[in-house]
Amino acid sequence: MIPPHVDRTASSGAPLVRVAGMTKSFGGVKALRGVSLEVKAGEVHALLGENGAGKSTLIKILSGVHSFDSGAIEIDGAPATFNNPAESRNAGIAVVYQDLSLVESLSVGANLMLNREPTTRFGFLKKRELMAEAEDFIKQHNIPLDPRATVGSLPFAYRQMTEICKALMGRVRVLILDEPTSALSSDEEQILFDAVDTVVRQNVGVIYVTHRLNEVFRISNRVTVLRDGANVGTFNTSETDMRTLVAAIVGPKLAKAEAKEPREDERPDGAATSSSKRELLALSGIVNDRLRGVDLSLMDGEIHGLAGLIGSGRTEILETIFALRPIEGGELRLDGAAQHMRGPAEAIEKGVALVPEDRQAQGLVLDHSIERNFSLPRLPHFSWASWVRHGAETEETVAAINRLSIKAPGPSTRVRNLSGGNQQKVVFAKWNNERTRILLLDEPTVGVDVGAREEIYGLIRDAARSGAGVLIVSSDLHELILLCGRISIVVDGRVTATLRRDEFGDAEHLHELIQMSQREQGQAA
Amino acid sequence: MTDRLVTTAVAPAPEQRRASTLVQTLLRSEWPWMLYLAFVVLLVVFSFASPWFLSIDNFLNIGRQTTLVSIAAIGMTFVIIAGQIDLSVASTLALSGMAAALAMSHLANFWFVGALAGLGTGALVGLINGTLTTRLAIPSFLVTLGTLSAARGLAMMVTDTKPVIITNERYFRIFGEGNLFGLPAPIAWTLAATIGGVLLLHYNIFGRRIYAAGGNPTAALYSGIQIKRVTTWAFVLTGALAGLAALILSARSHAARPDVVQGMELDVIASVILGGCSLFGGRGFILGTLLGSLIIGTLNNGLVLLGVSSPMQLIIKGAIIVAAVAFTKR
Repeated sequence: MIPPHVDRTASSGAPLVRVAGMTKSFGGVKALRGVSLEVKAGEVHALLGENGAGKSTLIKILSGVHSFDSGAIEIDGAPATFNNPAESRNAGIAVVYQDLSLVESLSVGANLMLNREPTTRFGFLKKRELMAEAEDFIKQHNIPLDPRATVGSLPFAYRQMTEICKALMGRVRVLILDEPTSALSSDEEQILFDAVDTVVRQNVGVIYVTHRLNEVFRISNRVTVLRDGANVGTFNTSETDMRTLVAAIVGPKLAKAEAKEPREDERPDGAATSSSKRELLALSGIVNDRLRGVDLSLMDGEIHGLAGLIGSGRTEILETIFALRPIEGGELRLDGAAQHMRGPAEAIEKGVALVPEDRQAQGLVLDHSIERNFSLPRLPHFSWASWVRHGAETEETVAAINRLSIKAPGPSTRVRNLSGGNQQKVVFAKWNNERTRILLLDEPTVGVDVGAREEIYGLIRDAARSGAGVLIVSSDLHELILLCGRISIVVDGRVTATLRRDEFGDAEHLHELIQMSQREQGQAA
Repeated sequence: MTDRLVTTAVAPAPEQRRASTLVQTLLRSEWPWMLYLAFVVLLVVFSFASPWFLSIDNFLNIGRQTTLVSIAAIGMTFVIIAGQIDLSVASTLALSGMAAALAMSHLANFWFVGALAGLGTGALVGLINGTLTTRLAIPSFLVTLGTLSAARGLAMMVTDTKPVIITNERYFRIFGEGNLFGLPAPIAWTLAATIGGVLLLHYNIFGRRIYAAGGNPTAALYSGIQIKRVTTWAFVLTGALAGLAALILSARSHAARPDVVQGMELDVIASVILGGCSLFGGRGFILGTLLGSLIIGTLNNGLVLLGVSSPMQLIIKGAIIVAAVAFTKR
């Protein structure tokens, strides 16, 4: 067991928020079994745990969405209860959720001032004052935002920043960030971290929920780890390390298996792969609305990474191969034969599969069962003369649930009721069959907990081992380095370089390479 | 990261799980038990209130009166599960009836000529609805609002608003007055449409595609479903079933009239929603729709038997529809 490391060094009086002995059950299922948490002014307190550990429940209680069964919340030493989100907000607790709550058609300024717009006596909007007020606020917090920009046109990181800004309007004591970086590239992450720094300097306490451990070390002062609805421990970030945290998150049983480095034979060697094997997929000079001449090749059994900033065209390359975007120039060859595919149906026919970036919006029909989602891309396979062979469908779904160790009561469970990691495994299961020859993965582990992440890596390696070519887009450079034999850098709709394992080195080096390509492209333009 | 997640992560005790599964099936399953309850309550109330209500003759009567709505609603179920709506069913029905009658009076007086003309015209209007919706990406609400008006106009224009008399005895027997398999023809056709609908929606991959297209069109597209084609077929099916309803109506009244069933689309849509379909697509089932249309039919019938005035009937019907939907939508 890990000894809980209670912090005694920092002593800035009473904590801002104190949660003690919090319990909460949903219909007989204990979500929280006595959780405690203290957040001080001016600290970033990371909250870690696997999906289902109780982080979300705790946050929803703090923000007044849920009530609690027993325990206590104290704000500045005074007991508090919240019956609804408004009461929690009035007490100074502001939450930035994963799914954003902005009006996309309005400007940043209008969004910030929503429901607190300055008006004339007759209720007409004072537009200039609104903008000025918003601009003042943004400047005061040192956040790089233009109040006149339309939210819908902003990159994701800036929308998130707008969201944080909005949360900060009014009196804020505690800011809760729920997986704020799950869709950010590393540069955008930095912008977000700077914004958090600014906030902390104003003596706000920040609760930072995340799945990414390296962020914990970059940004937090203390870490609290939850498992199965109970505290595992609270650590001073400077006094702990990755291994300890992983062990705390996954529990004593699994710790050894999860924390280990991949063995040598699990790392495909790019050089050997590309010389001895067949070329499954080749793009030469592919041009369309978002791509400006992409050259790329994928061998069988290869795991090939696409690195680059968000908006660089990484996702669009995958979408073009999957025939979601028309090709206007250049040539796409599968097994050496030029292709003119008119839609995903044809691409799937040819053995191409895409695990999209947003599994809830693009990968799954959330209201339908695992079984129905599983069989969707291969309905003809599961039918006889167009009549569904339900027995075969159930049989194969159950087999896939076992093979991918999806945690679900059964094949008829609605996908909506699964955790993020298990949902992602269902998306993988859809394509986990012998017909998939080219597997396109877009951010395959976003919002997936540590344990499930390792299992997904295993699935990716298995696919490559059985001869499929895997093309993987990820903002997590560690992930690309862990998995890939080759990595291509995408800048501004082009592949600027394709690197072998001995060339891309570690995450820092790779990050530098991306930055350099970005700059070179900028100068060339 | 929802609360339900927690339920899947931490396994409850077995007996607890069994009890909660039972409650969940009752409350959350695709079969809205509240709807069945509502139907039973309705039957009991009317049986006590009116001595004429509880008789085989009256039930056959309800079945006959509900036929048009039931058949059109079965088609509408496909369209609504696909995440679309068809406001033009009543106008399509009127136009198809005219086409059937005109084909028999002007082309050749055979029953199947009329049948083909009626079904074909309905399917054609559906094809136009589907094509405009999917290819021009106009919301189906607007497209079918257009065809609602245009199809009715066309139906009135072909004969300058005059009815067309039908003289084919065989046609009357097959679609209107005779018996098929021992059942009155309209009821037999309703049953046939129901069975066909159940097979197609619940046991065929076409149904699976419809559900996926409505449940999450993006995910369906990313799974290789040709949403446009599937959606268009749903509209064609609805149009053809409106055509079938037109055959039954015209065979019963020995004529086709261009101004029939105005406003019927509302009863049709209400039946589908009452039967448990989600207006947002992806959820629903055929037997629910049939039951939904029977509830509306029973309501109409029962209120008449009780001697409720027709304005009052409309108000009661509206209130009951909203209340029933509110109850069945947990």
